[in-house]
Amino acid sequence: MLNKSQKPTEIPIYKKIIVGAGTQIANYIIILFISISIGALVIFLSGMDPLTAYLALIKGAFGNWIKTADTLDRSTVMILAGIAGTLAFRTNVINLGLEGQLYIGAFAAALVGFSVTGLSKAVHIPLCLLAGMLGGAMWTLPVIYMKLRWNITELVTTLMMNYIAIRFTEYLIAFPFKDPTARLAGSPVLEASARLPKLIQGSTLNIGFIIAIATAIFSFWFLFKSKTGYEMRMVGLNKDFAAASGIPVNRSYTLAMMMSGAIVGLGGAIMITGFFGRFLGSFSSGYGWDGMMIALLAQNHPLGVIPASLFYGALANGALAMQSATGVPQTVVVMVKGTVMFFVTVMVFVRFIRRRLTKWVT
Amino acid sequence: MAEAIAADNITKTFPNVTANDCVTVSVEEGTIRAVVGENGAGKTTLMKILYGLYQPDSGTIRIKGEEIKLSNPRDAISRGIGMVHQHFMLVPSFTLAQNIVLGVEPKKRIFIDENQLNESVQQISEKYGFDIDTQKLAVDASVGEQQRAEILKALYRGADILILDEPTAVLTDMETKELFVMLRNLMKSGITILFISHKLREVLEISDETTVMRNGKVVGTVKTSETDSHKLAEMMVGRDTIGGRIRTSCDVKDAVLTIENLSVLDSRDLQAVKNVSLKLCKGEILGVAGVDGNGQEEFVEAIMGLRPKIKGKITIDGKEIQDLSTRGIRESGVAFIPSDRYRSGIAMDALIWENIIAGDYYSEPFSNGLSLVMKEVLDTSEKLVKKFQVSTPGLKVKTGNLSGGNIQRVIAGRELGLKEAKVVIASQPTRGIDIAGTEAIRQMLLEYANRGAGVLILSADLDEVLALSDRIVVFYEGEISDAGYWDEDIRSRVGQLMTGGEGENNAK
Amino acid sequence: MGNLDFGSIFTLTLFAATFRMATPILFATMGGIFSSQSGIFNVGLESLLIIGAFFAVVGSVKTGDPMGGLLFAVVACLIATLIFALLHLELKANAIIVGLAMNIFAAGMTNYLLVEMLDATGVYQSDLIIGFKEVQIPFIKDIPFLGDLVSGHFPLVYVAFLSVWAVYLILYKTPFGFHLRAVGEKPQAAESIGINPKKMKYFGLLVSGLMSAFGGTFLSLSYLNLFAEGMTAGRGWLALAAINFGGSKPVRSLIACLIFGFADALAVRLQQFGLPSQIVLMLPYVSTLIVLLFSAMSDERKKKMAASKHKRLNTAKA
Repeated sequence: MLNKSQKPTEIPIYKKIIVGAGTQIANYIIILFISISIGALVIFLSGMDPLTAYLALIKGAFGNWIKTADTLDRSTVMILAGIAGTLAFRTNVINLGLEGQLYIGAFAAALVGFSVTGLSKAVHIPLCLLAGMLGGAMWTLPVIYMKLRWNITELVTTLMMNYIAIRFTEYLIAFPFKDPTARLAGSPVLEASARLPKLIQGSTLNIGFIIAIATAIFSFWFLFKSKTGYEMRMVGLNKDFAAASGIPVNRSYTLAMMMSGAIVGLGGAIMITGFFGRFLGSFSSGYGWDGMMIALLAQNHPLGVIPASLFYGALANGALAMQSATGVPQTVVVMVKGTVMFFVTVMVFVRFIRRRLTKWVT
Repeated sequence: MAEAIAADNITKTFPNVTANDCVTVSVEEGTIRAVVGENGAGKTTLMKILYGLYQPDSGTIRIKGEEIKLSNPRDAISRGIGMVHQHFMLVPSFTLAQNIVLGVEPKKRIFIDENQLNESVQQISEKYGFDIDTQKLAVDASVGEQQRAEILKALYRGADILILDEPTAVLTDMETKELFVMLRNLMKSGITILFISHKLREVLEISDETTVMRNGKVVGTVKTSETDSHKLAEMMVGRDTIGGRIRTSCDVKDAVLTIENLSVLDSRDLQAVKNVSLKLCKGEILGVAGVDGNGQEEFVEAIMGLRPKIKGKITIDGKEIQDLSTRGIRESGVAFIPSDRYRSGIAMDALIWENIIAGDYYSEPFSNGLSLVMKEVLDTSEKLVKKFQVSTPGLKVKTGNLSGGNIQRVIAGRELGLKEAKVVIASQPTRGIDIAGTEAIRQMLLEYANRGAGVLILSADLDEVLALSDRIVVFYEGEISDAGYWDEDIRSRVGQLMTGGEGENNAK
Repeated sequence: MGNLDFGSIFTLTLFAATFRMATPILFATMGGIFSSQSGIFNVGLESLLIIGAFFAVVGSVKTGDPMGGLLFAVVACLIATLIFALLHLELKANAIIVGLAMNIFAAGMTNYLLVEMLDATGVYQSDLIIGFKEVQIPFIKDIPFLGDLVSGHFPLVYVAFLSVWAVYLILYKTPFGFHLRAVGEKPQAAESIGINPKKMKYFGLLVSGLMSAFGGTFLSLSYLNLFAEGMTAGRGWLALAAINFGGSKPVRSLIACLIFGFADALAVRLQQFGLPSQIVLMLPYVSTLIVLLFSAMSDERKKKMAASKHKRLNTAKA
């Protein structure tokens, strides 16, 4: 089409940034508002007072320093799962197997943690965390093989590997690595030298949180400033164009999958060495799935994963307190999360807000 | 004679573009009207309005003298208008017969009456004298057969006004002749035909009248017998198009690209490229003519390492490249402008610098160890954008927002801007690009050849191939034939070879 | 530990159990085929199954009749599918992401409603749940072997297998099916004829919701008359694998469902022999991977044979 109109009058850059950032913030505020209202409605309909319920939730998450620290601890695994999801999605890799990779990573770390003795903390901890990363990464190998050699969609294979991972680790702690002294099904307790040092007295917050933040920052650099990150992003945006330009597509796919598995595996390792101290049967309440949703919330940006994870962590921590204080079940929080998700998938309000803001600014 | 269909002061605008500007056209019953114009002149938009796919902002449509509002294709079909699109709308896994009756399937209670279906299609194809195997699956049918099915689709619904959008774009000269015979027969049966084309020779051959459009307006309607391609071209474009270039001949010793016995399978595992050999000399522009679908795509993809080969040896300046990765092939000095620009040429959502640096980002100075050196990347991207005259508000704009011509310049910038390529492979380089962009790209390719690179141009546009090439080879059904060096008879030689005529197999 | 010999594992009851265990997957698969043929890979099948299972129990308790349960399930699933359709077709959200969100939301919602509506946590089991009863087919039930295999199933099992034939008929022998498939394969072709792709996609999605409701109802109102958190155990994902394996075709996908049903039944059987349940329960998921792998391998072999045949014909001509 021959373009008859002139180039639109240039809007100064700083105003564009205001409109861009403002749109995002306003969009999330609206989504949050609607979701919280729906949650309030559900609470109200089950005969309780939404205001007290939400207050209990906020107090539970941020009431005092200890509780805030606990919330940060909760978000640690979310951050890592979110990063894992981000790296995969940016490369257009549909890794639905984060949950399974989490389990394998967690168990691998536990194995190194309870079966190796006589090491110092400085050696044992990195070893466990490394094992977790390796475990998570290795678990993606069958998926990679089936995709690259046989063109079998990873959407189905990663899902299957989830269930296999959960059952397999269940088996491991039920038979070969059973700990007869445990109340709940679990592995033997980890050596003290494998436990992550705590950050704050009285809270479960440990250096895992620092590691998670560092991973997020590293991933930001990796995706946007490194050569390989650029390759992965281009492959994610258009595989054919990347191939024709000489970018190694299969290598990028493999890296994205394995890094994704490794990072969420690290998350599992931190959960075990930091929080639980042993591998427990159902230690994850769906953190892998949360990771995917967090990546989505953060629009696949590593730095955006941090606030999104804190949001999730606060919900998780606060929900428990809310339930014990007011009796409102935790599942309400799950529904609020789900509602947020629905709206985020749609980003309905973005165009509308952007137009309004642009008008206001010019 | 009576008026079959007319547009009266039709105006249609899209964001930023006025596609049709007070367009008035009237077509007589039982005639063939050609509508010609450059890309973006508004011809397709007008046809889509006449078929009910678009609604005009203002103006009216008259069918057989009656003012009618067409809200969707169903309205148009009920009024006897049928449209055959440039890109066929056939469901691959259905038979041609099933495709023809899609939407008006004969029924037996709630099921489809298969017998009635096949019989009625057979009847109608015999009525109009169409040579077509209606039981073939659409995916297995030849391009000509598919087109016949598309036309039958319209006739089956009782169309007496046919709109054809670039019907000869994918046909060989032979198939085009067959099509014209069919069209003349249909015309004799009282069917009115409108067709869009940019191939002036064909327009002159078949149409009774020609309407020329430019920039959304009708420039004029002339009796085809009273005009010629020169006058039509002037009306279409308003100025002279570029002429040819000084032809050079090639010394065989100077081969920069040699291909020996290349065989490639297509995606259905049939042989698309059959034992092809080719030599390209330094400074030579070798035109590869041939209608889409004769193996050119697979040929080019195999050279670039994007498609596996059964066998074949490929060398650049003596160095064998057939087993290298795409990057290795590019590093050996090959620049590649792919035919499917939006699929293989760019990433629509990537920023301009991300697209333009995609060939070179990994080497110095753009990369330092693991990280990108953004300053160098952005500086160089800026330079390339300027040099190749990409019209864009900035480097950090999504590439998909640019016009087609500008996107092609981005691609050219990436491929031709940084390294001195020894071989340039340009596949359909100016398809869908406006006049200014086309000239610019052709100029770039000429310059590259003048600087000593070997340039391979693959184009289904015969005029383009003839305008630029020193020497022409023709791809037909997976094999290559040499039409030799450019001279006055080259066009007929090429035309022969494109339809499977005799010629020397394999170009030396 | 019983004898781990062939004869005692592979009994007739095992094969009969295969049909039973395949049924929920089969329902979801057939429904998923409808939406897949219209161009949408319905990733939310898992959530539809659990919603169906839950509301089937609620309905059965409220109406005292399993058919009432089925009705409740159908309504609930249709509403859920409508939401999916609105988000994806009207608001242009990415289908995979919406499907995933639905899975998470449905899991949470059913767990919440389990507490709110049925006053239970984790599992709800009660005499108030009236499930379907097995039926015997006259004549067939007296035939040796065949009788034990085919007769005596729950009614929904027969419905599931009949639905394969119905899906085939509708998709390949009716105008509606033609239009649906045209929309899925080449929407522009359908549009240019005046078929509305969006309408077809709505239909495709709603049918997948409808049939998943049947599948969920079967889960909670037949063999087991209860609802438990997570009782779908990934069957919705297995359905997707079946659709993938079968190329969205009813009969081919049926084969995959039978394999999964067999793996499920075998898993239960092997448990009775004392094999660790965890390993054995991996069977369906491992079998999916194996099925996909073998399918890809045989596809490649077939292609190679066709290509070499063509090569031979080609060289013969020359």
